[in-house]
This record gives sequence, C-alpha cells and structure tokens, in this order.
Amino acid sequence: MWEDLSLKQIPEYAKDPYPSIRKWIKEKGKKAVGSTIADVPEEIIYAFDFLPVSLIGTDKPLKKAPSRLPDNACSLARSNLELALSYEGDLFDGFVLPQVCDTTQHLSDIWRISFPGKYVESYLAPRQVDRPSARYWVKEEIERLIASLSNWSGKSINDKALNDAIAITNENKRLLQEMYEIKKKNPGTITNKQFFSMVKLAMQVDKAEFNKTLKNIKASLKPKKGKNYTDVILVGITCDPPEVYDIFDEAKLNVIGDTLVTGSRYLQGIAPQNGNPVEALTERHMKNGFFSPIHDNVYKHFEEVKALYKATGAKAIIYVHIEFCESQEYDLPDLKKMIRQEGMPMHILDTEYQTVSLSHLRTRLQAFFESLKGGSL
Amino acid sequence: MSEKLNSKQLSKKITDEYMEDAFRAHENGKLIGYSTAISPVELFVAHDIVPIYPENHAVANLTAKKGAQLCSITENLGYTSHLCAYARSDLAYRESGITVTKGIPEPDLFLACNAQCFTLTKWFQVLARKGNLPVFVFDTPEYIMNKKAREEIVKYCVLQLKELIGFLEEVTKKRFDYDRLKEVMKYSAQSSILYKKFLDMAQYKPSPISIFDALIGMAIAVYRRGTPECVEYYQTLCDEIQEKVDQGIGVLPKEKEKYRLYWENLPVWFKFSDHAKLLGSYGGVILTSLYVHAWSFEFDLDKDPLVTLAENYVSRFSNSTIEDRVDMAMGYFKKYSMNGMIMFMNRSCKAVSFAVPTLKDILVKRTGIPALVFESDMGDQRFYAESQVRTRIEAYFETLDRLQADKPAA
Repeated sequence: MWEDLSLKQIPEYAKDPYPSIRKWIKEKGKKAVGSTIADVPEEIIYAFDFLPVSLIGTDKPLKKAPSRLPDNACSLARSNLELALSYEGDLFDGFVLPQVCDTTQHLSDIWRISFPGKYVESYLAPRQVDRPSARYWVKEEIERLIASLSNWSGKSINDKALNDAIAITNENKRLLQEMYEIKKKNPGTITNKQFFSMVKLAMQVDKAEFNKTLKNIKASLKPKKGKNYTDVILVGITCDPPEVYDIFDEAKLNVIGDTLVTGSRYLQGIAPQNGNPVEALTERHMKNGFFSPIHDNVYKHFEEVKALYKATGAKAIIYVHIEFCESQEYDLPDLKKMIRQEGMPMHILDTEYQTVSLSHLRTRLQAFFESLKGGSL
Repeated sequence: MSEKLNSKQLSKKITDEYMEDAFRAHENGKLIGYSTAISPVELFVAHDIVPIYPENHAVANLTAKKGAQLCSITENLGYTSHLCAYARSDLAYRESGITVTKGIPEPDLFLACNAQCFTLTKWFQVLARKGNLPVFVFDTPEYIMNKKAREEIVKYCVLQLKELIGFLEEVTKKRFDYDRLKEVMKYSAQSSILYKKFLDMAQYKPSPISIFDALIGMAIAVYRRGTPECVEYYQTLCDEIQEKVDQGIGVLPKEKEKYRLYWENLPVWFKFSDHAKLLGSYGGVILTSLYVHAWSFEFDLDKDPLVTLAENYVSRFSNSTIEDRVDMAMGYFKKYSMNGMIMFMNRSCKAVSFAVPTLKDILVKRTGIPALVFESDMGDQRFYAESQVRTRIEAYFETLDRLQADKPAA
C-alpha cells in the first residue's frame, strides 16, 4: 500500500491518509490505534501488531465536536475529535491520548465517553522534565501503557518485539533525516510540502512499508539546487493545513530547520537500540526537544530557536501559531520580544485546522518577505 | 481577644495580618512564594515561606469590575483575549499598578500545581521570566480510574514533594523541619474538616448559606490553611451558621425556597451579588459547586504527611475524570436535595469548562433534572451578555415551574 509511492503521490496521501489506511487494515486484518500528539511511544502500539496512527486533524467541516469542545478550544483538539466523531472513527479500534495542557486535561475522558465501545487509554507523560522524578514517571507510564494494551488485546509482547518496533521506527526517522538533508541543500529537489508530507505520512502509516518508498525515492532523486531560495526556520507545534507549505513553496522559501512536533522534534526521537527497550523509550522521551506544554524551563525554547537560527544561517523565522493553543499564546509575546531583541526577523502565521481560504496568510507572508528583501536580504 | 470577633471581623483581621506579614516578609527574613490556590502550600507554611495567591488578588479586581480595563492592558502587550482573566488581569496589574487592593508583594519563587490547571503554570512562567526566578512545577497526572495507576500517581507525587522540599531548602538555604510540617498538617486537617462542615450546612432546609456565602467563606481556607487562626475562623463560622440552622434562618425564608441549585464552575465574579438577587427573586438558591469543595481536604494524620498531601491534592475535582466529577456532584445532589443546576461555560477556565458539556449530559441523565447552560467569562465583562443571561435564567425557572406543576401530587 505504501511501499512504492512516488514523491508526487506523497502529499496527496498525507492530505487524506484514511482511505489507504482503511484499505490496508482490511487487507491485513489488523487494528488501528490512533493517538494525538505528542510523545505517545508509537513503538509500543506497533510491537502489539497494531497500526499506530497519529491524528493530526482534518480540514473537513466541524459538525459534532463543537457540542463537546467550545469554540475557544485548541483548533487541533476540536479537529481531531471531529475526525473521529464524524469521519474516520470506525477505522479505529482504540485510542491512546496524552494529557499535556488544559485542553487535553479531560480529552481522554471526553473520547472515552464518546466512544464507549472502543479502547481509550490516557498517556500521562510528565509535564516537567528537568527533575529525576520525570524519568521515573515516564518509565512507569510506558510500563502502564504496555500492560493496558496487553490487557485490552489479550496479547503480550517481549523485548524483541519492542526492539524490532524501535528498529523500524528508527530506520524511518533516519531515512527522513537523510531526505531532510537533501531537501535543505537542494530545495529544487524536494519541496517543503513534499518533505513535511513525508513526515506526516510516516506518523500515520505502516513504517516497514513506507521505509521502502523512502529508500526508492532517495535512490531516484536527482539533486537540484534551485535558484533564489530564501532559507527559513519553522517554529511551532504543527503546520497545517498542508496548503500552507504551498505558500512557502510559491514564495521560494526553503525550510532548513524546524522545531515542529510533526517535523524535527519527531525525527530527533531516535531511541537507543538493542538494550532494554523500556529504558530506551524512557531515555528518548527525556531527550526530546522543546514542547511548550511540558517544559518548565522558560528560556529553553528561545535558546533552541536562537541556536537553530544561527546554526542554519536562516534568514528568517516563521512561527506557526495554532488558533487557541493556550500554551503557545502564553509563550509568544516574550518569545517574540526575545527574538526581535536578537535581531532575528520573525513572521507569525496564525493557523486553524478548518481554514478554507489561505489568501490572507499568503498576503501577509508575501508582505513580510518583501519587506525583508528590501532590508537585509 | 479574638474569641469576641465574629467571622467577618475575624476574616478581616486574619487577612490584614497575613498581608502585613507578606509585605514585611523580606524585613523578617522570609521569602514570598507565589502559589496556585490548589497546591501543597503546607510545605511553604512549614518552611516559613509566605504564600501569595495571585488568583485571590485577581478575584478582588475582577469582583470590583476591573476586568475589562485590566484585560485590555494585557492584550495590548500581545496576549490574546481568550487567556484566563485571572492571568490577564494580573499581568496588567504588573504593567500598570492598577488594583482595588493594596496590591501584592513581588515573588521570590513559584509553586505551580497542575491539579488545578495548566494555565497557572504558564502564567507563572511569564512572571518568572520577568525576574529570572525559580518555578517548581508540581505535576499531578489526571487521577484516572484505575487503582494501580492511582497508587503509582501518588508515588510520583510523593517523589516530587521530596524534590519540592529539596528545592525550598536550596532556595532558602534552610533545612526543612518535618516536625513543623506535622504541626501544620494538623491545623490544615482541622480547618478542612470545619470548612467542609460549613459547606455541608447547605443541606438544611431552608439552607442557611448559599454558594455566595461559600465563596466568601472559602478565602481563608485558600490562603491561611495550615495555621491555627484558620481553624479558629472556621470554628467561629460554623458556630454562627449553626445558630442560623437552630433558628431556622435561611438565605430565603423556608416557604420561598423553591429551587435548590447546583452550580458548575467558578462564579462570574463581577455578577456575584446580582446573580444571588436574581435567582432569589425566583425562589432559587445556589447551594454548592465542586469548586468550593476543592478545599475540603481529608488529610489522614496517621499517614506520612507527604503521602496524605499527595493523595489529597492529586484527587481534586479539577484533576479527576469526568466520571468521577459526576459522582462527586451526584453526591451533593443527594446530600443537599438539589433540584436544579446551572452549568457555566467559563471562557477563562478551560481546564474546568471543557468537561462541562459532557458532564452536563451525564448529570441531566442521571438526575432527570434539566440544566441551564450559559457561556460567559468569570472576570472579563466584555464576554458577558446581560440580557441573554437574564433571559435564559428566566426561561429556566419557567421550565422548572412547569415541571413542578406537572408533577403528580404526592
């Protein structure tokens, strides 16, 4: 299903992966377990021989979710709930939902009550990471998730199964990292949309199959530098709808670094291999990059963005704000101030999962880069 | 001397002395610790750190209808209008100095417990950035309905309380005194029992207290728990209310008390007395909410203090599952004989409000009582539509009247 996709096919599969997931599940006779971002250890779900699918919203209209989550709830949370309630819920036998912020505080409860026939488990990752208790708790939660999936499925997994899942996931991330390197140096070869669609699709489909596609694409690539690209870094949690990347591509922006949960933060999550897999996944969690809702080091985000900007030599920062993401909204004014004090140009994109027209984003982005070109570019 | 004071006078005296102590903290060699209202502040008290609750200060300003003015100032700093009104009014106070009180002293450190909400953590991070001050996040995973998981959650919280003690020792360069903590816990346990007794007096008919009395009465539990004066205050308050009970004095006279109501969420602070009058005119009295019960702890003094602290703080309503919140509310419906419910969708408080639609559906189903749902903001008047709320309240009481009229005679 996903082992022989062309580079051109990837954005269309990533935009709506569910028809292919539906077909694959039927063919393979497997179950799908959905999870919302971030940090649910998908390798565990995979080791149980289920398909882990990251739920990253839908652009289809909201119908039922507003009666559960009001209009000031995070756009991604509402969109995911709608995705499951109205469109793709039947595809999933279960869900594993992390609790990271006020919006997600009761999300697991809402999903559990909304889907009484399905398996719904919380993944309560720590919302502090700098103290020893955080590591203790991550390990406890990983072990609890294993026990919970085992209890639900009646199956058990051994270290080998989990290590194999880690190996496949790691290979996937390494291949994506290699693609990213090619894209950064040769923006004419892979567009922003194609690359970030690869990452998104990797979070949603069978990795063993998708790795074959990635290897094939890599082997067939003819690096093309391209001309007149402006290097930028992308900061935020997610960047949707995917047409936002079309705007970047039209404007000849080359994303050469990012902090997205659906980008580098996912790719960096390579767990140590061949040891104790629970320890490895715990270790991986502790090394994950900044994620606003769970990190209590108030300057860490700024330092990471600054370091990325300097290391990549980018010309500007694009900050992607998800409408009603409270966590971002508390950070943003200070982050903006600190970034501007450092003389780093930053443009803020306000995104919303149900957006139908992006013309205002395009106009604002064009204006920003035109003014930048008039200045330092 | 204080035994001659009534509860109102005592509350004022305790508050004045507390604020005096807070403003002189540095002179007296003490530090100021900002804390979330629901957090194991007993550790602060035992370590001579003066706890300050920016939420309480925000409530004073929001009740005095300063919300829109203050929130606008914060929005001009680049914050969005849909953040918590407590946070927005507080950030504006930092910027402008506008307050209806004498203000609050500047912090030396922060304790953010996310059993209450995540907003406080982010708000405290903003304040901490201003002075590069230390923040301790006491992370309380949702108290999910799984016995083994709960045991593990408590263990994780105990580990963190030990880390918190280490953090306090490091900041203050002073050794933590566990014997002192036991003493503080004793006061906290006593005052919590009395506070609960006070709230539970709403079970009498007519009820001698409404939620508005509870909201005023809870202040000392929030900021002075762990002290002997807190125990004295609640003993005085309970004695006063018991006298009302003995004399049959209710918020409304017995013959006029038609609807005994449950309230979900925090109050609309700037409509506090208006709501009481409006509801009273229809024979309605709001008796309770899970919010006011958030400070009725049940500390077990036979346990390790850190264990009983962890068990209590992690299991607050705001950190409990929706199913558990329903059970808690059902307990009060039964105990207080309530026959109506007002479900407030509070734009400011996402942690509590996002559960409300689901909570409402289950409560309506289980009680058979219709619910009034309205959306507004607890502190920002710009999100309050007076005529709409009034119309909904009127329509709700008409529905209740009709249902009561349709009931077959007993």
